[in-house]
Amino acid sequence: MRRTLRYFFSLGLIGIVLGTASAQETKKDSVAPKTYRYGLRLGVDLYKVGQSFRDKNYKGIEFTGDYRLTKNYYLAGEIGNENTTENDYLINYTAKGTYLKVGFDYNFYENWLDMENIISVGMRYSASSFSQTLNSYKIYSTNHYFDESPVYSPGTTTNGLSAQWLEVVVGMKAKVIQNFYLGFSFRMNKLFSNKSPDNFENLYIPGFNRTYGGSFGAGFNYTLSYLVPIYKKKELIPIKK
Amino acid sequence: MNSLQKISILLILALVWISSGCEKDDICDPATATTPQVVIDFYDITNPTLKKNVTNLLVVGEGMDTGLAFNAVSTIKIPLKLTADLTQFQFILNYGNTVTPALVNSDVFQFNYTRNNFYVSRACGYKTLFTLDETNPYALSELDPAGTSWIKNIIVNQYQINNENETHFKVFF
Repeated sequence: MRRTLRYFFSLGLIGIVLGTASAQETKKDSVAPKTYRYGLRLGVDLYKVGQSFRDKNYKGIEFTGDYRLTKNYYLAGEIGNENTTENDYLINYTAKGTYLKVGFDYNFYENWLDMENIISVGMRYSASSFSQTLNSYKIYSTNHYFDESPVYSPGTTTNGLSAQWLEVVVGMKAKVIQNFYLGFSFRMNKLFSNKSPDNFENLYIPGFNRTYGGSFGAGFNYTLSYLVPIYKKKELIPIKK
Repeated sequence: MNSLQKISILLILALVWISSGCEKDDICDPATATTPQVVIDFYDITNPTLKKNVTNLLVVGEGMDTGLAFNAVSTIKIPLKLTADLTQFQFILNYGNTVTPALVNSDVFQFNYTRNNFYVSRACGYKTLFTLDETNPYALSELDPAGTSWIKNIIVNQYQINNENETHFKVFF
């Protein structure tokens, strides 16, 4: 339920930002040479920071970065660390580790005048190195005659686990004040390599989030970032008569 | 349709897909093989290849107030204790027969085993599998010292109790 709420919250947020973006679109007016700023944008995932304060079983941080290569293409990546204890009714476990995501974003949003907003699609190659601790588990039985539900607390930690996956990213960034951007991205993940512990499974992979039996997953971030401008490029727009 | 609308629709579809995924793995599918029960087939002692139905068999676990009732079946499944390496039952044949109380006969059937836990899934947690003791897989005794056991012979068919698709014990009476 908590997760469902989280998604609806995100959905509302997308709606608000997209709405604002479309409203601005109607102001189209004249043509003038456009100046594009190129630089390195560095940010932090506000959602993970907030969650670390709200949820005593979660500590996580993610830094994001992108570097503009051409008018529309950005080299993009994320680096993060998560330490989460999840209670899945029958299984209580802790996953902790570090992840790195590298790829690109393609901005397909045509900006007006000197606006610098981004609506992009992109991809990431992602890798995570982590450990998983099986804190406790219950035995599942369909016959309850003896009314037993034994709980075992092995507390065994498996180190050196790893996973690799691809992400398809849909995201947006809106300039809020000079050089500062608020952004949201939603990701669909496809796992292609996953090293699990013996007699257990990677139920949560840092960076990937919960695994759902198969190899698909999803994630999102909500970022505040700062653009460090490095140089400018002008594009002359031919005037149509 | 502009690109903004397209992207909104894409996101909504993705969210629907994800939330439907959440529902599925929260409940353990009953078809999943979890902790197995022991499967016992009953055979006719006078014609050992023929299965024989039990009549009003009540199986009562040690220290339990209630029992598991079976009637007119030749195969039963009963649970083993998950917190001990042995489970003792009273197998009471013709339970509740007030017409001919002499037919009511209680045998004590004890299972000896070791337990191992195996991971199943997020929704089903772990299951316990049992391995019957090699030298003493079971012990049979008559409850009433003066009486005779209604169970005449027991054969262990499968020492590994890993699932309910195979017969673990054959009981002849």
